[in-house]
Amino acid sequence: MSHLLTLQDLSKAFFGVHAVQGVTLNIPEGAVTGLIGENGAGKSTLMNMIGGIHQPTSGSMYWRDTPYTPRDTAAATETGIAFIHQELNLFYNLTISENLFIDGFPKRLGLIDRKAIDSRTRELLKLLDLDLAPDTLLGELSPGERQLVEIAKALHREAELIIFDEPTTSLTPREIERLFEVIDRLRSNGKTVIFISHVLGDVERLCDHIAVMRDGQLVAEGPTSDFGIPEMIQAMIGRELSALFPDRTAQPGAEIVAEAINLTQPGVMKDVSFQIRSGEILGLFGLMGSGRSELARVLFGLDPVASGEIKLGGKPLSGGPQARIRAGLAFVTENRREEGLLMDAPISDNLSLVSISRFGRTPLNLVDRPGIAQATADISDQVTLKAGDISVQPAKALSGGNQQKVVIGKWLMEDPRLFILDEPTRGVDVGAKYEIYTLADRLAAEGGAVLIISSELEELMGMCDRIMVMNQGEIIDTFAEKPWSQKAILAAAFREVAA
Amino acid sequence: MKKLITAGALALASSAAFTGQASAATICFAFQDLETEFWVAGHAAITTTLEEQGHTVIERNANEDANRQLEQVRDCIAQGVDGIIIIPQDGESAVTIVGEAQDNDVPIAVFNRPPSDLSRGIIVVADNETIAEQAVDYLVEKALEDADAGETLQPLILVGDLGDPNAVGRKNGFYNAIEKQADRFETPIEVATEWDAATALSNLEAAVTANPEIDLVFTSSDFLFPTIRSVFEPRGMWKTRDEEGHVVLGGLDGDATACQLIKDGHVDATGVQDLYYEAEAALDAILSAIDAGEYAPNVVIEDPGFALTADSITDSEMDMWGCVLLAEGFLDN
Amino acid sequence: MTDTPVAGKLPGTGATRPGLAATLSRRAQDLLLSDYFVLYLSLAYFIILIPFLPNLSNPANISNILSNMWPLLVVATGQTFVLTVGGIDLSQGSVIGLTSVIAGALLATAASGSVLANAPIWGIIISEEGGLLAGHTGAIWIGIAAMLATAALIGAINGISVAVLNMPPFMVTLVGLIVYGALAIWLTQSENIRPLPESFIQLGKGDIVSVYLGEQDEPRIPRRQIYSFVTYPMLIAVGIAIAASILLSRTVFGRYVYAIGANRRAAEISGVPVRRVIVAVFVISALCAAAGSILYSARLEGGRPTLGEGAFLLDVIGAVVIGGTSLFGGRGRILWTVFGVLFFVLLSNTLNLMNLSSFHIDMVKGGVILGAAMLNVLRERLIRERSR
Repeated sequence: MSHLLTLQDLSKAFFGVHAVQGVTLNIPEGAVTGLIGENGAGKSTLMNMIGGIHQPTSGSMYWRDTPYTPRDTAAATETGIAFIHQELNLFYNLTISENLFIDGFPKRLGLIDRKAIDSRTRELLKLLDLDLAPDTLLGELSPGERQLVEIAKALHREAELIIFDEPTTSLTPREIERLFEVIDRLRSNGKTVIFISHVLGDVERLCDHIAVMRDGQLVAEGPTSDFGIPEMIQAMIGRELSALFPDRTAQPGAEIVAEAINLTQPGVMKDVSFQIRSGEILGLFGLMGSGRSELARVLFGLDPVASGEIKLGGKPLSGGPQARIRAGLAFVTENRREEGLLMDAPISDNLSLVSISRFGRTPLNLVDRPGIAQATADISDQVTLKAGDISVQPAKALSGGNQQKVVIGKWLMEDPRLFILDEPTRGVDVGAKYEIYTLADRLAAEGGAVLIISSELEELMGMCDRIMVMNQGEIIDTFAEKPWSQKAILAAAFREVAA
Repeated sequence: MKKLITAGALALASSAAFTGQASAATICFAFQDLETEFWVAGHAAITTTLEEQGHTVIERNANEDANRQLEQVRDCIAQGVDGIIIIPQDGESAVTIVGEAQDNDVPIAVFNRPPSDLSRGIIVVADNETIAEQAVDYLVEKALEDADAGETLQPLILVGDLGDPNAVGRKNGFYNAIEKQADRFETPIEVATEWDAATALSNLEAAVTANPEIDLVFTSSDFLFPTIRSVFEPRGMWKTRDEEGHVVLGGLDGDATACQLIKDGHVDATGVQDLYYEAEAALDAILSAIDAGEYAPNVVIEDPGFALTADSITDSEMDMWGCVLLAEGFLDN
Repeated sequence: MTDTPVAGKLPGTGATRPGLAATLSRRAQDLLLSDYFVLYLSLAYFIILIPFLPNLSNPANISNILSNMWPLLVVATGQTFVLTVGGIDLSQGSVIGLTSVIAGALLATAASGSVLANAPIWGIIISEEGGLLAGHTGAIWIGIAAMLATAALIGAINGISVAVLNMPPFMVTLVGLIVYGALAIWLTQSENIRPLPESFIQLGKGDIVSVYLGEQDEPRIPRRQIYSFVTYPMLIAVGIAIAASILLSRTVFGRYVYAIGANRRAAEISGVPVRRVIVAVFVISALCAAAGSILYSARLEGGRPTLGEGAFLLDVIGAVVIGGTSLFGGRGRILWTVFGVLFFVLLSNTLNLMNLSSFHIDMVKGGVILGAAMLNVLRERLIRERSR
């Protein structure tokens, strides 16, 4: 098999620190290569060099055996390289065809040739099996459909190499299936694909070759048949991970910490009731749109509820987030960028935010800065944060896993009684996932209650004492017996609920 | 309150030179804005005259901001100018600025818009009483020309808001002129306007209905001519001086509309503030104060103005700012 | 700026477009990112211009620059809070005008019926004998309290509209600018009120320490050579700036302001009393505007409804933003604003000294502000690159 792209001893340093070091890698033509590694392993830097965003400090690249030195992203596009990012580069206020042709509309007599655009768009959409009109607005499409439009854009530019960076994070299972079919089709049409993902099962299923990065270096490479998931994990984290999940250290107690009674909000949820005991980790599983995140927001007082009651420690909860935090609630949102972090603020400011009023000193309510430094350093240790100077480094400079640890860490000073974790491991690498699970176990072992909301059934099965399944705003089943029946849980989540 | 620290001779202070010679004086000209063409004309009159005489002019535009004008005048003082001429934003800030300049030993003249306190500074103001008197003198002459001997005439005055000193002065000027021929005139009818066109309209209508025989009308401001027209026209009283039934009509201000109406023949005279005289007087006063080494000259210079009449318009048209504007097509805009 | 190679600079390996951080030397970067950057910029600007504008370093001129700084600084301090919390307060201008009228109406020692008779406040609050409080002991303190109370009320209305009714701050305060400005003009029918009591005027121009630099044996010291340096406005402005700086950077409240400005939703979920803080910030902004109004009214010796109108707000917001406070919230410091105001006042002063025509002044001023804004963009980019 010939090689489309060859990387030869490629390195990149920022301020003297190597982000990528001596990577030599061949990307076979007409195949799917999986690139895996923890956050911060150097995958993004490597891809940015291929894409012309960064220039290598040393080493060289070859495209079909001729030297390839892209000066900018335009040069990479020109060569035939396309990126499908997590955040898509599309205009939601424009139509599909306008998005495809945004960087060069075909003209006839000086005017945009609508006809030519439409027919080309139809052709591309057909190739992707996407049954949509070319003049549909992007904003009306589902996330999965948008991603396919992005792929159509790559095909329109006649890309030879299409690089997918975490393409499945915001897709439903059905949309993921469809994406994989499309990738299969691209491969059979002779296109070359690099697939970057944290979901190792997907990598194993989809890829012909696998390359593993750790600490800026290529640590393993070979055909997929050489790898199993445990081997992948071992290569990624550099040690053997006995299990994906830590052992639970405590059993649920008898005390009911929190209780929801017949929560109903028309159009959102109906008669939702459940209890959580001390030391318990309760899982909430459901598809996107099942009402699982809405339930979390209602519990935390962010969204209104028409009827029903929420009790914490036997006392009814009311008011907004402030009152509920005081009562002992903590909430790690699924949306860490928009709702979880002050991205531009230092890590220590993020860690101290929830409890900052504890550090006010009379008479002027001046903050006790040494006290905060001490307390945030403690929290940083507790959550095993990997960061530089937390009083300077902004949250956005952290990897996804470490950002998530900050979002969790900022609640720890409050000693919450009920911890709501909404998608706590989304976009987080394997090693950090394990640490987050360990944290959840510790919170439960210290007598708190933990509610984990997730679309990854594996993690719920790995961590929870019980799993509730939500479907169209109702809790339709609760599973407690181990071993779990994955089939039964999925069936409950996918079941069409009678109207 | 003030503690004065005298530190010995320090070269730090750049000499705030007082040349004492008007021939090479530096004059700071601080105006409030140049938004209307009236002020553009006044501004041009001052700067060109100063420059022609060999003086340096430092211009400051406050953009209608009194605080900025104060800061600009302080800047001028710090630069060591010999004299200051301001067109103030309003009478109140003018008092503050005059005080600021005189406290710093810089002579200052206030042009066109008088400070609310006239006791300090060189102040050039239009003498409303004299200007009105000149205009009404002409009206009286014209009215008597047309009248039969022995006939007594009915005059009418539209008075302004009597809270405004300008309105009071204009009214006094009107009476001064009428009283010179007291035996030929009935007691004048006074129509209150409050400087408001709607009030003027209703009061004038009432007055004209009660006294249809009116021979002479004087409005305290030219801006009321359109109001007068809308009352007179339906009654057949809006005639040119060559037509039968013309009411002798005059005003004060000398705006572009008045200039047009005089040319048309509907209006006989208007009293005009002599902008060009005022500019010259302000300059003369400030330059002679500088020459004399006076720090705080205090004098009120009154502009007697002149009457622009149907007879004089051909000669002195271009002395009146309203006609200058008219010639430049102001009313067409 | 020097451009010597340092660690981190890319060796020439076909890298034709290195990042910004790599192009600028480390020292230049540190300078650009320093809290004192705008101060250095102002000093450099000042020193470079001295040979061309000999009057610039003249003590009278320096005394002027300082005295022009203080009232603007007081107003800009309030705006810094609002920008930092992610808002904007356009109503500051009209608060200045309205509270100036209040000062005049309550404190005037006399008034002329011929000027004010048409004003709705005539005969109720103010008459021939002066304002309602004229002649009372402690009148100026009651007058100032009334100004501050009015401002606080307006600030609370702004804050509640933004925080509770979720209206955009730009709209809320733009409406405030129009409405309170019109109210101020209506109250006096656009007339100014003077004279104000001497003790009030002292707040705007009273000297505490003045300096005379010259021969001691002159028979008569020309008054224009006596320069005031320490004045009441200076004490008031510096006092407010120090208090504001402590409030914003050292207190729990300040932390809340930064958090809301950085990410309002995250702050809300973290239990920050978002609504209360936003209301408080708008109240602070209006109070600072009222304090600025005291200084402006006092230096102009009158209650003026049109105070703070026109381009004044651009000076305030321009000075704050040039200082480095972000228009998008989350980043701001009172110290930066002090330097921003200094730069702005210095800029106006030097442009005046250049004796440019008034048309050119605004053009040059716009160009310099644009240049400063570009330096700010450069800073933001550097910060981003460094934190990557």
